[in-house]
Amino acid sequence: MAMTITEKIMAFNSGRDSVVPGQLVWVDVHTVMTMDYLGKQCFKAFESLGAKTLFDRDRVICVSDHLVPPPTPEYATMLNEWREIVKSYDIPNFYDLGRQGIAHQIMVEQGHVLPGKISIGTDSHANTYGAVGAVGNAIGVTDAAIAMATGKCWFRVPETVKFHIKGEWQPWVMAKDLSLHIMGMMHWNGHLIYKALEYCGPAIDALDIAGRMTLCNMTVDLGAKNGIIAPDAKTAAYLQSVQKGDWNMIASDADAHYDAVYEVDVTNIGPTIARPDKLDDTVPVEQLVGTKFNKAFVGTCTNGRTEDFAIIAKILDGKKIHRDVNMICIPASQQVYLECIQKGYFEILVKAGVAIETPSCGPCAGIHTGVAGDGDIMLSAGNRNMKGRMGSKNAQIYLTSPAVVAASAVKGVITDPRSENW
Amino acid sequence: MAIIKGKAWVAKTYVMSFDMIVQKFWTSPIDPIENSKWVMAGVDEAFNKENGFKDFGYTFIVAGHNFAGGGKSIEHCVTGLMGANIKAVFATSFARLQFRNAINYGMPFITSKDINLDCETGDELEYNSDNGEIKNLSNGKIFSSVPVAPFVAEVGAAGGLMNFIRTKIADGSIANLH
Repeated sequence: MAMTITEKIMAFNSGRDSVVPGQLVWVDVHTVMTMDYLGKQCFKAFESLGAKTLFDRDRVICVSDHLVPPPTPEYATMLNEWREIVKSYDIPNFYDLGRQGIAHQIMVEQGHVLPGKISIGTDSHANTYGAVGAVGNAIGVTDAAIAMATGKCWFRVPETVKFHIKGEWQPWVMAKDLSLHIMGMMHWNGHLIYKALEYCGPAIDALDIAGRMTLCNMTVDLGAKNGIIAPDAKTAAYLQSVQKGDWNMIASDADAHYDAVYEVDVTNIGPTIARPDKLDDTVPVEQLVGTKFNKAFVGTCTNGRTEDFAIIAKILDGKKIHRDVNMICIPASQQVYLECIQKGYFEILVKAGVAIETPSCGPCAGIHTGVAGDGDIMLSAGNRNMKGRMGSKNAQIYLTSPAVVAASAVKGVITDPRSENW
Repeated sequence: MAIIKGKAWVAKTYVMSFDMIVQKFWTSPIDPIENSKWVMAGVDEAFNKENGFKDFGYTFIVAGHNFAGGGKSIEHCVTGLMGANIKAVFATSFARLQFRNAINYGMPFITSKDINLDCETGDELEYNSDNGEIKNLSNGKIFSSVPVAPFVAEVGAAGGLMNFIRTKIADGSIANLH
């Protein structure tokens, strides 16, 4: 029976030859991720189930990302309690302050996510794992606790919607622009709810893993259950040195059934911005050129990778951040941080006047490291722009690509990165 | 026949998860009574005080698309509503994370297309969980709903997924989950 890649993964990981959309299955999960914010509650819930041990302590991945370094004594205490409980279970894969990163970055870059397998995490952007051909899914404390005990999680097999992306990427256009373009096209409040989104086509083949992560990351904000890109030679090369476990190539059957198929020509997509408050209120950058803002931010599980900072460094090389703008950059992990130092990107950024912070979710979660105050106009390469998302409800958040943020930060107003030879 | 009657609060716009439970409570322990004290605090200024939503005494919430959207895996949105004595939420669609959490807690999140267009806050509704029918007693309109899947009903009858799994761990049938 012909199946999409998501259907195959749900079938093979539930001991079935095939599944159909709507079917309810208990699947074997490859890894379960939890983090500082909800992790203690996951372990407590796990303890209440009556299971004697974790299903596999190598496959319970613990990350400190939302609260590090702790901005308040309360959060510091919470982190201490989190550390105690993780240590008490002797979890080998504990990415705590000093070895930290945003959970979704850690899961992929450290090889805890594998093609053809299912990984779940207690944070909504777990969809990111689809970048390497896994089903990545966000779940709550209950599901995490049950998976920690049993290695299993229930799923309703989703219908799959295919996005065939063709054409040539234009200069200064990034995966984030495509992501925002699709957000504007499909709208974020319900139309792709519960669906598996499968990205394919020549423009997807051309994307590096970082770009694929950006694209799959934001499928949660389209309402989707998961976003996925079939593994290829780039996936294999990326995973080669980090993968923890075996995997096989997997792809949708040519005659698989899709709920809908959309074709997008990336040749026609330019830098794109979502205006404040609504993710799907997207416009080409040209419409906002000259708009004033005072805070610039690049980081997060969406756009905090080495490839993103490479673009920023290219734009900022020899330039200065405009005097009316404060710019913060946060690498998505310690590994990204180190790579950016080694490649010289952060030297360029610091010389330009960018404040670089230690890896964390940062102001994207509205908790710390540069949150928005009343009247702030943020230009962010994060993933959400709803009122209050980055701090004050009286701030505005424009959401865009790292290239637009960097070019605009130099000019002090929203700027089309294609307008100059950087 | 299981019939629930009560007053409804009807959302006039999208209800977001991060407004149902505002940020300072995201790390609170999961406890229906505690979580209910500030549930919906960010949704409407009228609810932004201790027991602000709960004290209105609503039994149902009626909403349009993507109820509890905007991300967030926190379960407090659902447990908060449970603690505030909400017996069911009727909406055109639900954000998948909170839909899942609701199933796991045995809280009825019932899909009923466009029900929000024919209900006003304060209307008296009657929900028949046997046939999925929702009656608006205040204006006489009747709405159908998407049937609850057998698994969802089973989890609800067990008092939530934690109890469902606890029983299976205790009796050794956990390995049979398929």
